[in-house]
Amino acid sequence: MQKAKTKTKAKKAEQLYLSDRRPLTAMGRVMLALSYLLLILWAVAILWPLLQMLVSAFNGGQSKYISLTGDFHFSLKHFKFLFEKTYFLIWVKNTLIIAASSALLTLLIVSFTGYAYSRYRFSGRKASLMSILLIQAIPVFAGITAYYTMHSIISAIFPFFTRQALLVLIYAGGGIASNTFILKGYIDSISSELDDAAHIDGCSNMQVYRLIIMPIARPMLAIIALWSFIGPFMDYMMPRILLTNPQSYTLATGLFTLINDVRKMNQPAFAAGGLLTAVPIIILFISLQGQLVSGLSQGSVKG
Amino acid sequence: MKIAPKVIDQIGEAHERKNLYLRELAALEEKAAAAGGDELKALQKKIAELRRNKSEHPYQKELAAYRAAEKNFLAQLKAEEAREKAGQPDDDPALAKLSREIRQSQKEEAFYEPYVELTYDAELAWRNAVVKLRHLPEMMENRRLLNEHIARVQKEKQTAAAHGDSAIKAQISAEKKLIEKKYALRNQELKEKQKSGMISPKAVHNESRVLKRAKAEEIQMLEMKDPLCSKTEELRALQHRHKVELKEERAVMQADLSDLYRRIPVETEDHLPLRAWVGSLIPGLSQLLNQQFVKALLFFLSGLFTFLVAIPYALGFGNFRGQGIAGLISLAEGGKRVDRSIIFMIEGIIAIILLLFAAAAYYFHIRDSFHVEKQRLKGIRPNRWTETRQEISRNGFPYIVSAPALIVIVFIVLLPAITTILLSFTNMDPKNQSKFVWIGLENYKTLALGQGVAGKAFWLILGWTVIWTLAATTLAILIGFFLALLVNQERIRGKRFWRTIYLLPWAVPAFITIMFFSIMLAPNGPLTEIISAIVGHTVNVKSDTTLTRIALVMLQGWLGSSYIFLLCTGILQSIPSDLYEAADIDGARGFQRIRHITVPLVLFQIAPLLVTQYTFNFNNYSIIALFNDGGPFFPSLYGNLAGSSDILISYIYKLTIDKQYQALGASITVIVSAVLMFISYLGFRKTKAFNS
Repeated sequence: MQKAKTKTKAKKAEQLYLSDRRPLTAMGRVMLALSYLLLILWAVAILWPLLQMLVSAFNGGQSKYISLTGDFHFSLKHFKFLFEKTYFLIWVKNTLIIAASSALLTLLIVSFTGYAYSRYRFSGRKASLMSILLIQAIPVFAGITAYYTMHSIISAIFPFFTRQALLVLIYAGGGIASNTFILKGYIDSISSELDDAAHIDGCSNMQVYRLIIMPIARPMLAIIALWSFIGPFMDYMMPRILLTNPQSYTLATGLFTLINDVRKMNQPAFAAGGLLTAVPIIILFISLQGQLVSGLSQGSVKG
Repeated sequence: MKIAPKVIDQIGEAHERKNLYLRELAALEEKAAAAGGDELKALQKKIAELRRNKSEHPYQKELAAYRAAEKNFLAQLKAEEAREKAGQPDDDPALAKLSREIRQSQKEEAFYEPYVELTYDAELAWRNAVVKLRHLPEMMENRRLLNEHIARVQKEKQTAAAHGDSAIKAQISAEKKLIEKKYALRNQELKEKQKSGMISPKAVHNESRVLKRAKAEEIQMLEMKDPLCSKTEELRALQHRHKVELKEERAVMQADLSDLYRRIPVETEDHLPLRAWVGSLIPGLSQLLNQQFVKALLFFLSGLFTFLVAIPYALGFGNFRGQGIAGLISLAEGGKRVDRSIIFMIEGIIAIILLLFAAAAYYFHIRDSFHVEKQRLKGIRPNRWTETRQEISRNGFPYIVSAPALIVIVFIVLLPAITTILLSFTNMDPKNQSKFVWIGLENYKTLALGQGVAGKAFWLILGWTVIWTLAATTLAILIGFFLALLVNQERIRGKRFWRTIYLLPWAVPAFITIMFFSIMLAPNGPLTEIISAIVGHTVNVKSDTTLTRIALVMLQGWLGSSYIFLLCTGILQSIPSDLYEAADIDGARGFQRIRHITVPLVLFQIAPLLVTQYTFNFNNYSIIALFNDGGPFFPSLYGNLAGSSDILISYIYKLTIDKQYQALGASITVIVSAVLMFISYLGFRKTKAFNS
């Protein structure tokens, strides 16, 4: 026994220090421990509220308010309430329709402008680029008074023009300028020899875009589409201004009624709805984090 | 304007006039310009006489005879074409068309040849026919051969299908198995290599994709041994040629014809751009006179827009409620009860926008018709639709594809923005909702001097907005940057794990988190209870201004740090490690390394993005409205229009939407937007995109 112990000791002493890092000093150890401590503290600060939301969504012991007191017993009654007593599914549908059509419209318009501004030298290009830059800085809320009236004028002519359609147009219109810039920058980085070759082979302008530029720029187009989707999805202000009927609400305005309106107040149901909304988005963000960050740092996307 | 002795084609070469009458006229005019005194008078008389007796001029007579003969010939040609078309149908209509065209061109060649020296029009027609005769027979022959080829292959395919050779099939399937075995073996080798650690999983992935493709190709090649399969493939290729070949050949011919068109000038007796003058009244008319039919139609449509939409609308016809541009001045003053000033204002702006569009269209029409006319006087033929189309697809492409963007931006971004600017000069408030008037700079004065209900709160709110923007954003940046430094230390383990957790505040939709924190900090909320338990007495965050503000700043720090953290992480990972090694060798300690290498590098890269972070928080309506809706409220300080945690944007919202002080809200909006535009201008001024 004793022999074996000395043997391992000898072995340990024999082992060379192989790492290319410096050995830790005592100070270094303290700093490392401190770092871990801070990291853990911040992780708790992040996870605790989210965990609270998770717990209260499933806690059948709570009725209208979320509180720390009271026992936890697992129940799905808040989800049931959400689906049966509120317009949750309609809100989901509205949000998805608005966000998806904004993304599509933005993509459609921007892919053309980005390509045109990157590849063509036409008269008025520089002036319009400048104005695009300035237009980009006009905040979306600048026109809130006009939107009501514009909607009443347009819907008098086209009865099917709903407020949600106006919302889509506003999101798309607000995104054109900045996204054109992002896409232009990306297409600029694609060698124009490629499209020269395609032009020589007889491709028309549209074919060059469809067959050469679009496949290469697909990652950036995906990012633009994604951000144009997430923006409307998370926006609270414009729906609050334009949408007045609870059946036409989006998730952001709809869920707010669950904590704001005293009569309809149901905080655990809000937690349940928030959970259902957040989970797909969290998965999306975690799986695409690299692309999302690079998309944001390519240029500013309006919040 | 005088008649030039020579005409110039589109390429810039000068040609002798073929019109002898004009040539004579030009010669006389040239002499007259050089002469003086009596000689000039004599020459002028001669010119006048020549002009008067124009129809007696031998050349003019000849020309008239040619025109009559041409008219006759063309009518005949048309009749013949109709007859031929009605005749027995061919198997291949394209072939029939080609042979018809050849016959026509032969006739044209014969007809125009004697007139070539008479006029350039005839020369053009004759040379056109010659070019066509050079191309068309070859095209026809190619087409015929292709048709035969297709028929042959079709027959071969049928026989192959009838004789389904089982021996070949068996052979193919045997060889297929061999190939599959071969590739299975190679895949196995690859996996073994990975197991023994010779190559990375990524390399294995790529390599197996290459193998897969190679295998598919080999199998395809093998299957071609089956005659049925190979014939089907051949037939497909031929049918594709059948579809596109003729079109391509026609395009080549068209290019030759366009070239001729550019090289052969046109002669005209006009010496003033009369057609352009006449046509300037009605868009499309001058193009029609120049026989540019499609272009004429397009300009005519733009004219319809101008005269039937834009101008009547500006005059007040066809408005929803307003009076066109006049409504912008009157703002429905003294109008009916249903007339609302805001509608009059917006319709007035729309009228101006429509007029601007119409003016642009009219400008293009005038420019085009005078350009074409001037060219024609020089001798350059007006473009036909084929040439115009080419020019549009070459130079007009960016304009056409940007048009939807322009329309959306004008009506969705600019129109509301202009409305807001104009509103800020009116007195639209709760008392003057339906009718309001222009009051000049009164609103700005109210705000600047801090007068009235809204003005007093304005400066308080502005101060808090600035503090909020600076504090919240800076806190988020500091937390995010510090976390990135911590996580990216080389000794920290589980980087992926930490990164995923720290991403969460960004990934959970902000409105949900804010609302949830709002619940938790409400009286009796879980967080309130915890804080009260720690402090020892009841703390109500949401009814205390300072505490609400601190909570807001901390919440935004919590929310905003994620994004900064991710950005900084990306940049930290891209800093080359030799920088740190060099610093190590020079004896730099941990903190010095961070101060002199990390911070400057990261800051330099994220600085432009930080500007957007600040503007984002300046406009961060959601957090203010959802957390405490601007409260707590102190009517003695803020009036009943705002709460003590309101920032400018939520104040604007309340003024405009809740309390209906739209004019005041608009003037604040204008101020804020101007500041924001200036800040982002500063931010963008230095970027590459702006300077290129």
